[in-house]
Amino acid sequence: MKQHPLCTDTEHGHDVMDLPVPSELKREWARLQTRRHFLGRTGKVLGWAAIASLLGDRALRGDTHPTTSAQPGSYSGERPRLPHFAPKAKRAIYLFMSGGPSQVDLLDYKPHLTDLYDKDIPDSVRGAQQLTGMTAGQARFPIAPSHWSFGRYGGTGTWVSDLLPYTGRIVDDLAIIKSTNTEAINHEPAIMLMNTGNMNAGKPCLGSWLSYGLGSMNDNLPTFMVLQSKLNTKENNQPVSSRLWSSGFLSSEYAGVGLRSAGDPVLYLTDPSGVDREVRRNMLDAVNEINRQTFQELGDPETHARIAQYEMAYRMQTSVPELVDLSKEPKSTWDLYGDEAKEPGTFAYNCLMARRMAERGVRFTQVYKRGWDMHDNVTGILPIICGETDRGCYALVTDLKQRGLLDDTLVIWAGEFGRTVYSQGGLSKENYGRDHHPRCFTTWMTGGGVRTGITYGETDDYSYNVVKDPVTVRDFNATILHCLGIDHNKLTYNFQGLDQKLTGPVPASVVKGLLA
Amino acid sequence: MKIQPWVTAISDKLLPNSKAKLITWLASLLFSVSLALLPWIIKLDGKPHADWQQFLGRFHPLAVHLPIGFLLLVPVLEIAGIFRSSLREAASFVLGLAFAGAVLALALGVLLAYGGGNTGTLVTRHMAGGIALTIGLLLCSLARPCCIERGIPIVYPALLACMILLLFWTADQGGSITHGSNYLTAYMPYTFKRLTLTSTKRPPTSFYAMHISPIFDSNCANCHGAAKSNGGLRLDSFDLLMKGGKDGLVIIAGDPEKSLLFHRVTLPPDHKQFMPAEGRPPLRPEEIALMKAWIQQGASPTATTLAGISTGDERPELPLQPVGDYSALMPEIQQMERTQGAKLIPVSSKPEDGLILFTVDAASSFGDAQLATFQKFAPYIVDAELGRTAVTDDSFDTLKQFTQLRALHLEETRITGNGLAKLRSLSQLTYLNLSGTQVTGEFVGPLDSMKNLQHVYLYNTPAQHAASPASTTAPIARSTP
Repeated sequence: MKQHPLCTDTEHGHDVMDLPVPSELKREWARLQTRRHFLGRTGKVLGWAAIASLLGDRALRGDTHPTTSAQPGSYSGERPRLPHFAPKAKRAIYLFMSGGPSQVDLLDYKPHLTDLYDKDIPDSVRGAQQLTGMTAGQARFPIAPSHWSFGRYGGTGTWVSDLLPYTGRIVDDLAIIKSTNTEAINHEPAIMLMNTGNMNAGKPCLGSWLSYGLGSMNDNLPTFMVLQSKLNTKENNQPVSSRLWSSGFLSSEYAGVGLRSAGDPVLYLTDPSGVDREVRRNMLDAVNEINRQTFQELGDPETHARIAQYEMAYRMQTSVPELVDLSKEPKSTWDLYGDEAKEPGTFAYNCLMARRMAERGVRFTQVYKRGWDMHDNVTGILPIICGETDRGCYALVTDLKQRGLLDDTLVIWAGEFGRTVYSQGGLSKENYGRDHHPRCFTTWMTGGGVRTGITYGETDDYSYNVVKDPVTVRDFNATILHCLGIDHNKLTYNFQGLDQKLTGPVPASVVKGLLA
Repeated sequence: MKIQPWVTAISDKLLPNSKAKLITWLASLLFSVSLALLPWIIKLDGKPHADWQQFLGRFHPLAVHLPIGFLLLVPVLEIAGIFRSSLREAASFVLGLAFAGAVLALALGVLLAYGGGNTGTLVTRHMAGGIALTIGLLLCSLARPCCIERGIPIVYPALLACMILLLFWTADQGGSITHGSNYLTAYMPYTFKRLTLTSTKRPPTSFYAMHISPIFDSNCANCHGAAKSNGGLRLDSFDLLMKGGKDGLVIIAGDPEKSLLFHRVTLPPDHKQFMPAEGRPPLRPEEIALMKAWIQQGASPTATTLAGISTGDERPELPLQPVGDYSALMPEIQQMERTQGAKLIPVSSKPEDGLILFTVDAASSFGDAQLATFQKFAPYIVDAELGRTAVTDDSFDTLKQFTQLRALHLEETRITGNGLAKLRSLSQLTYLNLSGTQVTGEFVGPLDSMKNLQHVYLYNTPAQHAASPASTTAPIARSTP
């Protein structure tokens, strides 16, 4: 076996077959190895064809030109044939409300609670639930009714908090799920579970599964993009990082590509002075050539991912400036999203970007907004964060709808859990705090494949337990996949001896009641 | 009649001529009759029975293939025996083995169905087939020596041939129980499917077919269906439902309270007459609500909507028209992608769902000439995404030939709408996006005659109605804080 060019170890390497690595990897290596030996005999010319065949079907057709053979998604020889059935949605936008929005104060209206102000929540409701360390030691669990009043909106007469007047305008287009529930009570495991279907890091996230399963619609932009909203330091910001858009054990081609919220959207995307596009191209061709040789010798599929990423970055040098150039947006856009959307990194700006990405064939866009974690001072912080997000959500849904994109775009609004009805810390008429609450939280979906104008699932009078139509995180993700034409049981990837899937080994079911 | 003496001759030859044979014949007759009566002795009542029955019964799939193999071997041996007589001698032995195996498989199969509480037409047919096969094999074993000894040519081969046909039918029923009835044909190439199966059948659109019939199918059909029709009532088709049962009509159109069926399903669950009987789960409240509304509003088999009932599918979607199989054109399709930069991507893994034309990669360089080169694939394209391309009004001449088109994206193009009326020939078109173009109202008007065209987007065009989106900004009611 030949050594990796970057390996400084001068001793003769071990044979892969003797190394303590999974037999699956050995088989994969042997497969590549055999092919390589065969090609070694048939000469260098055929060797090119071999690389091409490894690069997937596009290259198999003889398209071995260095600039096009490494198109994203072109390493699709092993991608499944998807969608499984004709989908209603071609793409999805996921508005992720990190921190756990308070369902009691926003969409899960409980008028009955006003009379129970400062009364203890009955033990029968709380049951034997283990609480977080932040409230487990509290002597009392006094009920904190929402500080805000609610109004009925739209033809459906759905109750919405005064904090979300803009969301109120689109309730007829939403499927509001009051019965979402999770198994995790702390941010990290809960946010991992929502995004990757598993509380432990290392599994591919929803976007990567979609990217792997459905491939690209636009070769000039990444299939899966991530937009983070700027921090507001008044809010309690829980960390969000690339583990949430990681491709896990899938090829790193399928990982989410983030755009920065300030400055250059992608660092070093512009060519340095003195380097024109032709020089860049020549350099990339040379690098790709070296990478191909490396692949030929070592057979590591990640080499392909590297080639594809270089090529993607090259194409993004022209596609991203066009994507983020808002100068051609008509006035009606700013009337809709508000002037806040002109400032890069705001949630409203990201919503506008998500619409522009949808127009340009990005398969999956995930917008993160941090700061929903409110252990105290709910009345101080919640209006701020609602003010930051409410209009953006409304504008995005309305904009997609008027442009005819909502028919085949799925929009999802969700956090990782809800918040307790009882107050964390002191309760007064003016203020209260709320702890993490996994047993029920409210989310919404709209767009391609979703039955709109409905409220799905019910919680008890305390917004504490689900009493009707529970939707687990597994079911939630299975339903999202279904809208995009994917059978969640069939989108699998063999890793560590298991057919891994987004919804995990516990049976999940598509929530039929949410489908159009 | 000349046949008379011939029949007598045969029967003379076939009938037993010694006491031992007579006993064999009588014993076989008794065995056959008791087998034939089996379905009446062991009634499949749909309830699971003893565990040991299921345990043994589950060996049925293992045991059943051995006699199948033996039976199929018999004609091979018989025919090969013409050339090598020793093979022919073996046929009798193999036939005996097939019979013995069939008895075992039948016994296990009955245990499986009875023990596991399986019922239904497929199970009943499969069991009947198994019994008939076992009896048939016994007859074959008896008829074979007689036919050979006494030189009767037809009876045994005919019987054997019948058994083999019966075997195929029975095996098909059995396979359908295990794998589902479309197991064999699910992955049939589309071309064959269209020739052999009526897969182009339009999906049901009536309220009855979409909402009422499924309630009966999942809750009632086990006891009121083709396999079993308690009280003489069958609920597996509209006509049978309206015919009623022994107690008369069960549905009185317009009057749910007087409809016996509705009355019985809404009794308290512990009532003697409550349906579904035998402790099965009651109908869900929403199912009862749908049924009530349907009866109240005339119990029509064809009505597609009911007043006051929102099922989320009031607007019945146009059943998707399958397109032809484009698999053979794949090399050309891929060639197009390379030369034109636009992609033809399958809607799904099923070819009959068609192709989507994506142009976003090539957008600015994709014009009318490029579009025209895709004409060849027109019969397979169901969605053309031409937004932001350089196509003009001239493209309508090409597009009108995309007869399978369901969605057409022309947003942000230089289209003015002149010639838009040519699209009227696209009978499948449900979605047309003209946002951000210079389309004017006069050209959009003629599209009103397209019945299936449900979504036309004119945002940011001269044709857009002056009225702003009708979203109400104020809540329609308020809570008291």
